[in-house]
Amino acid sequence: MIDDETLDRQLREAVPYINDDGFTARVIARLPAARREPQWLRAMIVVGLALLGAGIAYMIGGGHVVREGIIEFANFPIWLLLVFAFGCGLVVGAFAVIFAIRKTPEVRDLTRLDF
Amino acid sequence: MELTDADLVARVLADDDQHAFGELVRRHQSSMRGLLRQLTRTDVALADDLAQEAFLRAYKNIRSFRGEARFSTWLYRIAYNCFREDARRRKELVGVDEEKWQAERDPQTVDPALRHDLMHALNLLPLHERTAVVLCCQNGLSHDEASRVLDIPLGTVKTNVLRGREKLKRTLAAWAPN
Repeated sequence: MIDDETLDRQLREAVPYINDDGFTARVIARLPAARREPQWLRAMIVVGLALLGAGIAYMIGGGHVVREGIIEFANFPIWLLLVFAFGCGLVVGAFAVIFAIRKTPEVRDLTRLDF
Repeated sequence: MELTDADLVARVLADDDQHAFGELVRRHQSSMRGLLRQLTRTDVALADDLAQEAFLRAYKNIRSFRGEARFSTWLYRIAYNCFREDARRRKELVGVDEEKWQAERDPQTVDPALRHDLMHALNLLPLHERTAVVLCCQNGLSHDEASRVLDIPLGTVKTNVLRGREKLKRTLAAWAPN
């Protein structure tokens, strides 16, 4: 009698690769329309609401808080402003790198990078 | 470097990337269509319709794929459900189109006569045994994966595979090496 291994091998070999022959294209053609960048829409809503809130706060406060803040900021020594700018750059850069890693599977697993 | 199934699924989830989903279809279309051809007793047109339906369902419900099983196992489960629903609708399984089936086989791999006998013997098995044999022996799923695809207990899968194998061996006894 045929053993299990031989039977399994014959079963596998009896079903060869089925050529695509347009199958994938037919499936893709039937897919519902892709969502159009909902993340961007969400980001725009968040930024819009933040700007609106800031505008309302400015109007309620009469604007003097912002004016005083700017004057005080202008009195800072130049080296402190440079450090502050450099720190902001570092933070923004770090966020950009994290975002890029999260969005790019090729970068996520550095061991699989092929140079 | 080739992206894994998990990477492609992540792209579909994050950006609704239909190209990534197309790559998943391209990768799995052969095994899905092969499985469904076996389940429908080689009705190629019906099997391809069901495979299309299964992929569409997979796309619409891809958020329910939690990555606990292989993506192919998840796809097989959807395909099997599509087949069951269709069979229930039709109330009977479709007939065998042996000529069409044989025309699509690769003549280089297995002796054509043995292949014919094997496919015939496979088609004679009851559906539950045929399905278990096709999933485990032909498509290489573990018993545990097959039990998840078929939504039946692990022990039942093992029994069905064992019984199916024994029946196939008895039918193909004449082909055993001396």
